[in-house]
Amino acid sequence: MEFQSMLAWALPIGVGMAAIGSALGLGRAVGSAMEAIGRQPEAAGKIQTAMIIGAALIEALTIYALVVFFILQGKIGG
Amino acid sequence: MILLLIHKLSLVAPAWIGPLMVVASGGDTSHGEDHGGDHSGPPHLPSLVGMVFGSEGWAHDWINVLYSFFIAVVFSAVSMRVYAKRQMIPGPLQNFMEILVEGMYNFIYSILGKETKRYIPYLGTLFFYILAMNLLGIIPGGHSPSTSVNITASLAIITFLYAQWTGLSRLGIVGYMDHLAGQPRTAVSWALVPLMLPMHIIGEFAKPFSLAIRLFGNITGEDVLVAAFVALGVSAMAVFGAPNSPVGIPLQIPFYFLGILLSTIQALVFTLLSTIYILMMLPHEEHH
Repeated sequence: MEFQSMLAWALPIGVGMAAIGSALGLGRAVGSAMEAIGRQPEAAGKIQTAMIIGAALIEALTIYALVVFFILQGKIGG
Repeated sequence: MILLLIHKLSLVAPAWIGPLMVVASGGDTSHGEDHGGDHSGPPHLPSLVGMVFGSEGWAHDWINVLYSFFIAVVFSAVSMRVYAKRQMIPGPLQNFMEILVEGMYNFIYSILGKETKRYIPYLGTLFFYILAMNLLGIIPGGHSPSTSVNITASLAIITFLYAQWTGLSRLGIVGYMDHLAGQPRTAVSWALVPLMLPMHIIGEFAKPFSLAIRLFGNITGEDVLVAAFVALGVSAMAVFGAPNSPVGIPLQIPFYFLGILLSTIQALVFTLLSTIYILMMLPHEEHH
């Protein structure tokens, strides 16, 4: 298999795998935040801020995979 | 009045630094894929600068700098005008600016507290500047300067330097080293200093990297998504017997809303994380 076809297979799968991890993490984070807001609606603002920071840090990992995708996309040719 | 003064100061200074740093670094190479002739980089929507000046040459290479300068000029002009003509009973424009500035102030105040006044000029500018850069990609004929890693990296480097400077000036040299060493107070934490010091230093350098890559990746991903669906809509016209049609089915409309949401969230996240990094460098008595 040439490296172009290897890349064409591996890049989307890599991004997808990174997205699975992020999705699990985000699901947990947002779910817990929603529970916390439900239990303590007066603290919604603070919880939301903390949740957005956490979500950004989790989602950054998928974005790294996406950036690798963009970098290597040019090598696939076509 | 004070808020307006802050606004004037805030919008004139840091919005210029980002593009200037890219200029200083010898121009923009975000379209690296496009230079090599038969490129297959991510699809991009046509921008106004590209349509006027063609897809190569000076204007194409500096497109991100041009658009970010454009935003900086507009912001500076509007805020200077509003500041010069400020009145006790505000007009519509002044009212609008006061809403923006006060909203930003209250938001940052919930994190920084009484330190807000010192840091709001930088942080407020950062939010509106990044928001404008992100949203420019959604406007037809526009192009997000934040799809260039050079622009986002320069903003992240400014945040990094500002946070370090804040630490040095507010904590002092000794306090700064103490902060980097993890504030050793007990024998155990002194023993951990050789481990904590490199970890904190690497952490400080990782922060701007992650800030830059996050903004760049998100906005590039969003713009490529929109461009891909525009291309899909155009090629889908062949099904209706109209290949080479200049207009396509507007499949990208739902993704514009996603783009608006993502742009706002990413601008917010960049500002929020910058605020947190500065907060971590401020003197704090109760640690952990």
